[in-house]
Amino acid sequence: MKKLLNRSLKQFMTYASIVLLISVPAYYIIISRLWQYELDEHNIVLTDAAGREDTFIIIGAVTLLTVVFFIVMLGGFILLNRRISRRLWQPFYLSLEKIKNFRLDQQNPIQFDNPDILEFSELNQSLDRLITGNIDVFSQQKEFAENASHELQTPLAIIQSKLELLLQSTTLNDKQYDIIEDALKALARVSRINKNLLLLTKIEGSQYMDKENVDLSRLLMKTVPLFINFRDDKQIDLIQDISPGVCIEGNKILIEILLNNLITNAIRYSPVNQPLRIALNDNLLTITNRGAIGLNPDKLFKRFATGSSESPGTGLGLSIVKQICMRYGWVITYRFVDQSHIFSVRFGN
Amino acid sequence: MKILIIEDEADLAKSIGIYLSDENYLCEFASTFKEAIEKIDLYEYDCVLLDLMLPGGDGIKILEEIKAQKKLDGVIIISAKNSLEDKIKGLQMGADDYLAKPFHLSELAARIYSVIRRKQFGNSNMIEQNELKIDLPGKKVMVNDHDIMLTKKEFDLLIYFVSNKNKVISKTALAEHISGDIADMFDNYDFVYAHIKNLKKKLNEAGCAPYLKTLYGTGYKWQI
Repeated sequence: MKKLLNRSLKQFMTYASIVLLISVPAYYIIISRLWQYELDEHNIVLTDAAGREDTFIIIGAVTLLTVVFFIVMLGGFILLNRRISRRLWQPFYLSLEKIKNFRLDQQNPIQFDNPDILEFSELNQSLDRLITGNIDVFSQQKEFAENASHELQTPLAIIQSKLELLLQSTTLNDKQYDIIEDALKALARVSRINKNLLLLTKIEGSQYMDKENVDLSRLLMKTVPLFINFRDDKQIDLIQDISPGVCIEGNKILIEILLNNLITNAIRYSPVNQPLRIALNDNLLTITNRGAIGLNPDKLFKRFATGSSESPGTGLGLSIVKQICMRYGWVITYRFVDQSHIFSVRFGN
Repeated sequence: MKILIIEDEADLAKSIGIYLSDENYLCEFASTFKEAIEKIDLYEYDCVLLDLMLPGGDGIKILEEIKAQKKLDGVIIISAKNSLEDKIKGLQMGADDYLAKPFHLSELAARIYSVIRRKQFGNSNMIEQNELKIDLPGKKVMVNDHDIMLTKKEFDLLIYFVSNKNKVISKTALAEHISGDIADMFDNYDFVYAHIKNLKKKLNEAGCAPYLKTLYGTGYKWQI
């Protein structure tokens, strides 16, 4: 990739050098003619040797002058070019720098300057319109998701309470109970999806901003026992390899959510009676569980891209994890090696 | 026991009322900010269930009012917001508990039970039911004056049942009670069965009558 101004400089230089090169024979011919004319005028006849000598002197002088002028021109061009790029193109580079730092999900609108050059001014105005429009659409979409989730919460609570009252009915038989229980289970899933959607919009927005220094090793060792019931249900052999004293900077709630979601996923999709490994070394967290088929890494972190139809989750767990990682510049990767799903998060930039 | 349900969704308020009225609770309702403030000013309640989003005003102001009047009413916030800031703010301002919507009615009943008992009995908080005695602050259980050793989960389950007596409780509600937010993320709750089996066995061996019944295969009831 070449810089815009270098490209124009090169063309100017090529043009100038061609013109100067052509000028060398032109000068030579004109000066020789004038010289010859003067000699004829004064009836001076030169010897062949003197004539050749003059020719060489003329060619030498013209070439030298051309080279000198070429160098002067080159220096001038470079200096001018620098000044032009500094002054003339400055508004362009300023705008470019601002756009580079812009991130839609951070919602910081860009204030463009108003340069006195028509083209740049128009460019800035167009960029401004484009970005403002994008921010509006983005926040409308976020607001919509948030409002929709909020509004759903109350009817969900009503349905749940009604079903639970129905459970208290004394005339229920086993089949009817099962139907209510199934409905309650499906309802629990809807509530869960709703809660996660809300969480996602909150993370994408600017909530959970406060940061602290979190002892990840300790937090992880405290988190794992919470899952013991679910581990026992699947008779999973849980291997912990957590080195102490790993500290990271971030919001504690978000880090807890990240750990919970990754461990939940690993347990949920682990086959019965298989090992599951949680390792933390330096700044690298690795969670490994067995599985039959690798997942598509391109789709994995997208919303509602559940990898498996059995034991469906909310389809939002990993996009929440991704979103948290993106906020702090952590890198999450997924690999499938030796019949194992491996998720790793590298903390720190 | 008098309970004030401040909730603008009539259907939800009605469900809560029906569920609680079977358990010696007398429920009153307020569906707007104004109505709630009026009732708070006039009467004493053992427990106030407070929805934060009300027509006519912010529920937090009602909490402020209760505290300003130095009333002893227990307050449980029931909110659709489920934001941590709200929860912390509510608890800091003196609410006794916070429950996010949607919730299980049995969970709500357990929270109300615990708030009322804590307010009324303080450190001598002892539940007695025939041969069974439960020392709540000491987390001890006695049957016919003999101690029985329960794990923390079994103890929690026992309190849950006692505070929801004669109610059918689903396995899902129990799983969410003992695992908190994490249960939310799983669909399989077989571990509940294991804990209940152990609890039943321990109570039974100590000579406790079979109050804890299994119904319809996966539901449970503390019958008395």
